[in-house]
Amino acid sequence: MRSVVALLIVTVVTLLLRSTALTALAARGVVLDVLAFATVMWALRNRETWGASFGFILGLAADLDAAHWMGRHALMLSLIGYGVGRLSHTLMRDSRRVQAALFLIATLMHQAWVASFELGDAAAWPYLLRRVFLAAVATAPVGTLLVALVERVSGQSLSGHATIEPDPAD
Amino acid sequence: MGGFLPPAERRSSALLGLYAVLSLLLLLTGDRIPTASLRAAGAWVFAPLDRLVLAVDRTADAWRENQRLRERLVRLELENQRLRGAGVENQRLRRLLELPAWRGLALKPVEILALSGEPVPVAAVLSAGRRQGVVEGDPLVTQDGLLGRVTEAYPTLSRAVLLTDLNSAVACEVESTAVLGVLRFVSTPRPRLLLTGVPLSDTVRAGQKVMTSGLSRRYPRGIPVGTITWTGRDPGGLTQDIVVEPAARLSRLRHAFIIPHPAPLEGAP
Repeated sequence: MRSVVALLIVTVVTLLLRSTALTALAARGVVLDVLAFATVMWALRNRETWGASFGFILGLAADLDAAHWMGRHALMLSLIGYGVGRLSHTLMRDSRRVQAALFLIATLMHQAWVASFELGDAAAWPYLLRRVFLAAVATAPVGTLLVALVERVSGQSLSGHATIEPDPAD
Repeated sequence: MGGFLPPAERRSSALLGLYAVLSLLLLLTGDRIPTASLRAAGAWVFAPLDRLVLAVDRTADAWRENQRLRERLVRLELENQRLRGAGVENQRLRRLLELPAWRGLALKPVEILALSGEPVPVAAVLSAGRRQGVVEGDPLVTQDGLLGRVTEAYPTLSRAVLLTDLNSAVACEVESTAVLGVLRFVSTPRPRLLLTGVPLSDTVRAGQKVMTSGLSRRYPRGIPVGTITWTGRDPGGLTQDIVVEPAARLSRLRHAFIIPHPAPLEGAP
């Protein structure tokens, strides 16, 4: 129950940020992909089942807001949530480099997928590629910095600490 | 393949499969699903939160805007004096030519609570709805110019589609030359507003203002829409490609005005 409430709260906060604070930046050409960022963080902390569920719900809400092409955000974000959740078993989740790489890849995948719905003739490709690239290189460092700041202030790991299993021989 | 995975991983894989199938189904059939009521519920839930998030940002902006508005007020007062004289002259000339008198537009101020669409906003949630007299189709403007029109009116909120929506089309004319065209938004090769349907024989220059022509039932005549920044021949070779920079600043939208129930074409002067 706690997880469901937390999921809903993070979904609402993410959508709020996207529709208020980040729209002015996006209109100036700098897209901070808060959907991909939130999905990666949620999946890193809660693993693949919750990661995929969070991505799907968040994506569905974003699709509903956009009113066109229902399901496009939901599909990619649930895949990202699942993929990052699976990787979180083996990756160093608290590593800033790992987080930055995951933000970069997730944003690239999400933005490229969204841009693919706007593909017209070949003349559009350079602009869309630039937009996807800019979103990825902006989201990765900003996202990593934000996680580092929040962790420093709160003193807690947002991605969930790696637990060390006690040695049965001890 | 599922048999090789532990039960927890099988469950999560099955869940992902379900989400993927649902998403693909929505992609195929989503446009036929009525989603206006869901968006209305979403707008209702998010409206107080949007107001809260925007409060801090808007308080700081309001102070700066107040300074600018004071300066602008002085300039407009001076211009108003000049226009009063021109207005009296205009009325006299219209009477002489037996043209109907021009009616002013009523404006209803609204707050823009949220925007959707990246990188360019394509829709906005407004702080007034049916109870405040807003109906679907009402034009939405800022002090700079046309923004879009209301497409969904809920009890206390409404949703407007902006000029930047791919399905938006506005009948326009070029100021002073009365060249007619239809303003559309295209996202490729890069997002821009295009004045379409203007024959190559019509002379249009960069810097000229574009206004609503009043030829559609949706928008009254004379609302500023934008400024022409570039002209060229369209790929078909029959008409011109005219790029228009919107008059309304889409990157910084906080307040706007609804023009309630503009007069239809038949009754318009």
